[in-house]
Amino acid sequence: MVYIGPLVLGFIIGFILGTRIKQNPDSKLKFGASVFVVLIIVALLMAYQLGPFPYYTDSRLANGFLAALAGIIVGKLTFGR
Amino acid sequence: MSTILKIFVFPASIIMMCYGALTILGGHITPGGGFQGGAMIAAGLIFCLVVYGLDESPFKLSHNFMAGLESAGALGYVFLGLAGLFASGFFLYNLGTDIYHIVPPAISTLFNYPDALHAGIIPYLNFVVGLKVMVGLSAVVIAFLGAKGTKEDYVDTKEI
Repeated sequence: MVYIGPLVLGFIIGFILGTRIKQNPDSKLKFGASVFVVLIIVALLMAYQLGPFPYYTDSRLANGFLAALAGIIVGKLTFGR
Repeated sequence: MSTILKIFVFPASIIMMCYGALTILGGHITPGGGFQGGAMIAAGLIFCLVVYGLDESPFKLSHNFMAGLESAGALGYVFLGLAGLFASGFFLYNLGTDIYHIVPPAISTLFNYPDALHAGIIPYLNFVVGLKVMVGLSAVVIAFLGAKGTKEDYVDTKEI
């Protein structure tokens, strides 16, 4: 059974932050999809190393961490343009 | 700032923010909580602001956004406190756990945090405190960076 509490709250925190990511068109630096692919790989490794909270037995990964990253990416894709 | 920093800092700040979110979410089980997690998220935002500057930072925090989020955090805390007051007679009573068994089960279920420990409203309090601290600490740095351009208005450069 997956505990939805950390998933929902982590997603909300990430979504709030993701909506604020706006690229400056005048800037030379562009953070495209490749940056987020690398981020996902790093976040998966980090979530595996962090492990779940004590007494959580639903997953081997840190669910809140991954939910926050998913929220950031979804927030960026929906409002952060 | 160097190009290496400019490439590295944005992904690193996102990882810092995710870790801050994890710290907020584990506040009722592990060391940490709303203030610590909010400070970690703010550190990610400040990291970007220091390296890219206020104008080129990928994170655009407007005044209205910060005011709204800080207000939402404070109001959420007050709402949770008042909900306990109206339902049980005690301000900030933990409606989710309901250790005195004075609240109807429907309200207790509504305010219960769905995880392994059923910590009640404590994770929600951590969440709203995290939002407030995140915006509060970021606002200080944004205010300082914004005031940097008007240094000549306050300092007589001839005396330096």
